[in-house]
Amino acid sequence: MKKRFLLAFSAICLFSLTLLSTTKEVHIISTNDMHANIQAFPQLAALTDSVRSLYPSLLVLSAGDNRTGDPLNDIYEIPAYPMVALMNQVGFHASALGNHEFDSKAEGLGRVTSLAHFTHLCANIHADPALGIHTRPYQIFDVDGIKVGIVGVVQVGMRGIPDTHPDNCKGITFTPVEETVQQYKWLRDQCDVVILLTHIGYDDDVKLSKDVPWADLIVGGHSHTQLKGGEMHNGVLITQTVNRLDCVTHTTITLDDGKVVDKRAENISVTHCTQKNKVVEEMVKFFSNNPEFQRVLCQVEKPFTTYEELGCLMSDALREETHADVGFINRGGVRYETHDAGPFTVSDVLKLDPFGNDVVEMNLTGEELRQMLLSCSNNDTYGPPCVSGITLEYTLDKNDTTKVKNVKILTLDGKKFDLKKTYKVATHTYSAAICTSPRKDQGRDLNIQTSQMMMNYLERRGTINYAGACRVKPAKP
Amino acid sequence: MNVKVNRTHIEIFEGALAKHAILQYLSRRKIKPSRLTECQVFDSHGHVIGLDAPLTEGQTIKLKLL
Repeated sequence: MKKRFLLAFSAICLFSLTLLSTTKEVHIISTNDMHANIQAFPQLAALTDSVRSLYPSLLVLSAGDNRTGDPLNDIYEIPAYPMVALMNQVGFHASALGNHEFDSKAEGLGRVTSLAHFTHLCANIHADPALGIHTRPYQIFDVDGIKVGIVGVVQVGMRGIPDTHPDNCKGITFTPVEETVQQYKWLRDQCDVVILLTHIGYDDDVKLSKDVPWADLIVGGHSHTQLKGGEMHNGVLITQTVNRLDCVTHTTITLDDGKVVDKRAENISVTHCTQKNKVVEEMVKFFSNNPEFQRVLCQVEKPFTTYEELGCLMSDALREETHADVGFINRGGVRYETHDAGPFTVSDVLKLDPFGNDVVEMNLTGEELRQMLLSCSNNDTYGPPCVSGITLEYTLDKNDTTKVKNVKILTLDGKKFDLKKTYKVATHTYSAAICTSPRKDQGRDLNIQTSQMMMNYLERRGTINYAGACRVKPAKP
Repeated sequence: MNVKVNRTHIEIFEGALAKHAILQYLSRRKIKPSRLTECQVFDSHGHVIGLDAPLTEGQTIKLKLL
């Protein structure tokens, strides 16, 4: 009897202590720079469900750049809708705007933000309301009675806008990150936990931490930095994972009497997650059968029968769409050799140019261009590049016939090319990166994919005929 | 834009990603661009970064060929 009484008394004491205890935890799953990796979502959803079963009030956050990286998402009828639909299903609460969120211009961002069930947080964007971009500077979430204030910010580059094509930010202005964040210091008095959801890169997150001792956590993105869990800088915990949902971060913030007393973070692998959420898996299958891919862009009058003919098409698209004098791409970038007469579809473009390269524009003298074409010939395994706006004659090295010894540029009608004149040249990121020749202007990434440019070109042309096109030939002995 | 890869000064186009600076670095050393996939990249603090990580003026990255 006495034993029973003691047991009951102990249980009552324990229960009372639990009631009196004011220790609480906030749990967060965060990611960044998912870059449209929709294929990882069945695992991400299963992982999130699993953590949520332990912590029902789990917050799920993204630090931006949710899109740009897979045509299944990026050229969907409503660009980037698949990612938004999948993030809705997983139960994201908030996302920062990344620089790539602007890749479909203000109109595209407006559509995406209106379809999201989660909040897009960005305190340093100032958009014309007519653009319909639905963002908030901050939001306060109630997590089991704990007030969690989250402020979002996006990086601002040298041009005063995030790193995207300037046309994508028409009608939008941005204020400097640090100055903007300081305007939300008052959240410290209103909230138990303050989080900055940033898309500014690791180095800038560390710099920012010095000025925001009032924040508890920075969930960062942009620099694709893999932190081992989190790092404490100036009393602020910073988290970031590499990119494309390789892993997520699980952060636990412990509060005692309403004060944050502990913050810790760990990485959880998404790639190695063996479970898949079936509903999300079906959604991914649906988005993978995108009818947009079968859309006919133009008609091919006579079949393509060589890499050279298709290379002429690709370099023409580059040159004409950028209004450049010369266009070129490395020959290895032409991924198939033949195409029947008849329809040329979106899928055909993406198979021909699957690498997601962006267009690079530069101003080169004729001689700089000649040296660049020679460098491209020797640093690409497939020989001299495909060109537009010029023709090219090459000479192989007699001692090593896998090497090109010299290239000579001629005009389209076979005349001498002025090597002293300056030309506007369009190529793509891969070709620009492998060319080691000296040049004053290294060029600029226009933040437009070459595949998109080719689609625009083909749609504009309506019909094409490249039968017999040949602009690169061995020089006559 | 000027960056450093393993202490080698690299000039590359504005808006380049880590992989573009590495391709330039490999090409200068006559290493096949296809070996890009065997590279592990670190920032100046020793953190692993992705091949698609954006670069900024003056940034230093380190490369380990696996």
